[in-house]
Amino acid sequence: MKFTGLLESHRLAAMLENSLDTEARKWKAPSFQGSTIKGTDISPMQYEQAVVWLEKLRSIFHFYPDTFFLAVTILNRMLASVKAQVKYLRCITVACLYLAAKTNEEREVIPLVKDLVEQSKCMCSSAEILRMERLILDKLQWDLYMATPMDFLNTFHAMVMSNSPSLFHDHLQINPSRHVALLTRQVQHCTACHQLLQFRGSTLALVIMTLELELMTADWFPVSSDLLTKAKIEHADFICCKETVESNLETLAPSNTVYLFISTSKDVRSRNTAIPACPTEGIPSNPLTVVSQKIDPPIGNTLASSIRSGLGNLIEADDEFDLGEISTMKMAKANRKNFS
Amino acid sequence: MGEVLCISVACGACCGGTGRAISASCPGTPSVSEENHTPELTDFSDVPCPVRALPPQWYHTVQVRRIRSLRARSNSDPLQGKNLGQGLQWQRKGLPFGNASSYLNLEKLGEGSYATVYKGISRINGQLVALKVISMKAEEGVPFTAIREASLLKGLKHANVVLLHDIIQTKETLTFVFEYVHTDLSQYMAQHPGGLLPYNVRLFMFQLLRGLAYIHHQHILHRDLKPQNLLISYLGELKLADFGLARAKSIPSQTYSSEVVTLWYRPPDVLLGATDYSADLDIWGAGCIFIEMLQGYPAFSGVTDVFEQLEKIWSVIGTPTEDSWPGVSLLPHYKTEWLTLYESQPFGSIWDRLARVMGAENLAQKMLKGCPRERISAEDALLHKFFSTLPCQIHQLTDVRSIFTVPGLSLKPEMRDLFFSHQKGSHHKPW
Repeated sequence: MKFTGLLESHRLAAMLENSLDTEARKWKAPSFQGSTIKGTDISPMQYEQAVVWLEKLRSIFHFYPDTFFLAVTILNRMLASVKAQVKYLRCITVACLYLAAKTNEEREVIPLVKDLVEQSKCMCSSAEILRMERLILDKLQWDLYMATPMDFLNTFHAMVMSNSPSLFHDHLQINPSRHVALLTRQVQHCTACHQLLQFRGSTLALVIMTLELELMTADWFPVSSDLLTKAKIEHADFICCKETVESNLETLAPSNTVYLFISTSKDVRSRNTAIPACPTEGIPSNPLTVVSQKIDPPIGNTLASSIRSGLGNLIEADDEFDLGEISTMKMAKANRKNFS
Repeated sequence: MGEVLCISVACGACCGGTGRAISASCPGTPSVSEENHTPELTDFSDVPCPVRALPPQWYHTVQVRRIRSLRARSNSDPLQGKNLGQGLQWQRKGLPFGNASSYLNLEKLGEGSYATVYKGISRINGQLVALKVISMKAEEGVPFTAIREASLLKGLKHANVVLLHDIIQTKETLTFVFEYVHTDLSQYMAQHPGGLLPYNVRLFMFQLLRGLAYIHHQHILHRDLKPQNLLISYLGELKLADFGLARAKSIPSQTYSSEVVTLWYRPPDVLLGATDYSADLDIWGAGCIFIEMLQGYPAFSGVTDVFEQLEKIWSVIGTPTEDSWPGVSLLPHYKTEWLTLYESQPFGSIWDRLARVMGAENLAQKMLKGCPRERISAEDALLHKFFSTLPCQIHQLTDVRSIFTVPGLSLKPEMRDLFFSHQKGSHHKPW
């Protein structure tokens, strides 16, 4: 990720306007009725698993995070438009990722269908994926481009940086691109929560940005409400989404395995050899190891907020500690650098 | 007229009158047969018909690129000279979009790497169309170029961007139906060798930059600008086409492939391996095309590899240094020792016709800056003094209005057309 100085605020405003317009025209999400997605036999849990699997596949194929988000928007639009049965969910999911990759990735990174089938272990045939691909194109009328939550997050982040540079300068010990990558990760967690499915990408991105601002400064309110106005988001929607996100992020740490990366894993080192540190980010590509542990709720809460603040003590203390997902993203990026 | 009514009544009677009923009662049509042959589809209760929802404004005129050898074939148009009565025999009311039988193939126009283009006619409204038939590959499904082209063009509505009318899916093939545009800039220049009339270059260039300003504003990079991809209607309207390599761009930027744009139109930063380019990529290509239109031959041509291409560029704009282009030495293919160290040259001394047209040399120099950040944006270029002789209403047009809706503006006949009588009777007015 690259920041070339401060982007003029009018360009950012135009960009936001553009994205909001796209979202207003195309955004669609499946709704839940009883214990399944309306009109289908897909349970919330199965939906969440599909999204988590998408992220896993994204990292296997070294796609950009943008591709993951695009795949999720395609999946959501698809599930909202057809009455899909759960037996086709894997096929739909993998076809959504394939379409997102074809839309967003460069030619040299787009896999052949047979490799997709093999490496994803999706248990469907090439022919099935290709049929599903055409069905999705048909259903979405070939209109795949979409403003994703990540686009909004990047725009909001750049707007805050451009309007209140001192905020970042005074309160942030990591560089902005790393900061936005951490926030992206949080948005990614949230896209896998079925309770948040009803909220648009713009709302979700603004909530994450606001929660982050709250932790960074006491003066967060005017900055956040300025963004709220610019993004023309309903206050009620925003508050409801914020509460849901807060409860989800709080339960995130205690109820889930927390990944800490500690340096010197051979496993990761082997993946990482011959990969130069990602030049645009300035993050050292340290080989890291995974330690998973259950954490008691109080610590968990601290961790949740440190995840949210993007630079808890853990990370601040030692550059070699990092949130696992971020380094995965980083490695995927570094690997891709190598590709080209 | 009576015949039309009969046909539409008959069709209405047999087809039930609605789009859905029409497709259901015509089992022989490809799009329906696909539904029947695809078992999965029956599992989704609401099987889609992709184009049913297309708004009516999608149907206008058309254009596409054609191969040079088939070029001067307008006389072969089988519909030319036919009277209205004959037209009624093939034209039907009530035919659905998205259906192969709604279009008739007339002649093959050209062949590309992943598609064959035919001239066709719509049986729905009688308009000429360009049918781009895309072959599907078993190992990769729908080509990514087709996916990008369709999903990008869906969001673009501008007088200087080619219009996609319709998409037809059958089991084996995929057809994009475009507005028909009768030639492209490459052919136009081939027909008028020795450089185009500066007045016309101004009109073409303004439209090219207007199209670029529009897509760049939508954060889309074309990434394959070259004369073959700029379509020219017989009125002189220029339209950006072939969005197969184009892509949307977000902030912060990803890095992109440096294998984009035909070599001759590729900017030096990308030749040096830069992958973080932006709208400046397209501006370089547009600058090269500008010079080519005026001068009559490509600005940086005749080379076959990246380094020759760079040498050629350095010989004009000067070999870059860290002073003239901060950061250049960090690019992957930068060499500390170039064979020759060139000084930058005034463009007018290399391309003489640039010096003879007011503002042309200055505009070209602003577009062809080595350092991408210094290249002029399409939006700013539209305000350059090179265009100051054009009527000022040209800046106030809405996106979908052609510049030729401004009173008094029209393409002038090229010198060659004035000498050859075969152009007599065309719309061109002598000046």
